[in-house]
Amino acid sequence: MRTSPTGSSGNGISDAGAPRSAYRSIRNAVAVWLTAVILAAFLLDIPKINILEHTARNLYFHVPMWFTMMAAFFVSAYHSLRYLQSRDRIRDVRALQAARVGAVFGVLGLVTGVVWARFTWYVGQNIWWNFDPKQTMAAVQLLIYGAYFTLRSSIDEPDKRARIAAVYNLFAAATVPFLLYVLPRQMESLHPGAEGNPAFSEITDPVMRLVFYPAVIGFIGLFWILYTQRVRLAVLNHRADDPLEV
Amino acid sequence: MTIHPLQEADSTAQSTAYDTLWTGQEEVPVQESTGLERVMLAEDKLYVVLAVVLIIWIGLALLVFRTDRRLDRLERTMDERIAEKDTGA
Repeated sequence: MRTSPTGSSGNGISDAGAPRSAYRSIRNAVAVWLTAVILAAFLLDIPKINILEHTARNLYFHVPMWFTMMAAFFVSAYHSLRYLQSRDRIRDVRALQAARVGAVFGVLGLVTGVVWARFTWYVGQNIWWNFDPKQTMAAVQLLIYGAYFTLRSSIDEPDKRARIAAVYNLFAAATVPFLLYVLPRQMESLHPGAEGNPAFSEITDPVMRLVFYPAVIGFIGLFWILYTQRVRLAVLNHRADDPLEV
Repeated sequence: MTIHPLQEADSTAQSTAYDTLWTGQEEVPVQESTGLERVMLAEDKLYVVLAVVLIIWIGLALLVFRTDRRLDRLERTMDERIAEKDTGA
């Protein structure tokens, strides 16, 4: 998307994102791609494993939510860092929107995980939440990002808000690998890679990888579309609020 | 609905280390399966996958609706501003 040739002047905001035609091409490609992924996810035969049975197919949906969330938080942290370097307000807008959409994917990952565990491992026990280390750490992770949004809404002065939020966002991003990889692997968990459990690479059938990796790419593409839409809207809102630019 | 026994592993299936009930939960009493559970466990638990896909679909649709509402608000602001300009001129 390109804005007016005047670019960023004073308090104005300009968006140096991908051109609109590239956005449209990627959007259409992601729509076709994800449709194919969903078809393959349900139609391809997979090896039958006790207890898991068809729910093994959730690998194509539940796990990409987390990959997408981490990609989104990484994008968000990158723009926060660039904000601190350049003080360009578009970086603040991008960091906020990437974190927002990323948090949505995180909540979806959490809820899908709860449903998966409830009707697969906790059958007959009526357990919806069992404090599985990875699940708990993921919830803590979302609370850390929830605090980012709360922090933003508590500061009125835009430049101060952008600066403090960017610093906090870098801290939040730094906790991601520890909460989602290091800590859960030290404890007993349903998740692969935890104590005694084989890691993903040793237990996943080739036919499932054939769907899983495209699913990760597809959902990250979907994140990019939703994020770009929200950035475009936020930029328009900023321009509408600034009487000089209307 | 029966629970898959912990010890009785199916030798033909590819069983994995985490493919059992979590051992930390052994003392939890097993209850009769409820109606919801019977639905979810039908067809080799395929409905669990359906539930997961629906949750993702509904969640993303809600995000799109929220974005749409912000777009509506912006449209109204712009319309009002244009109307102000017209009456002022």
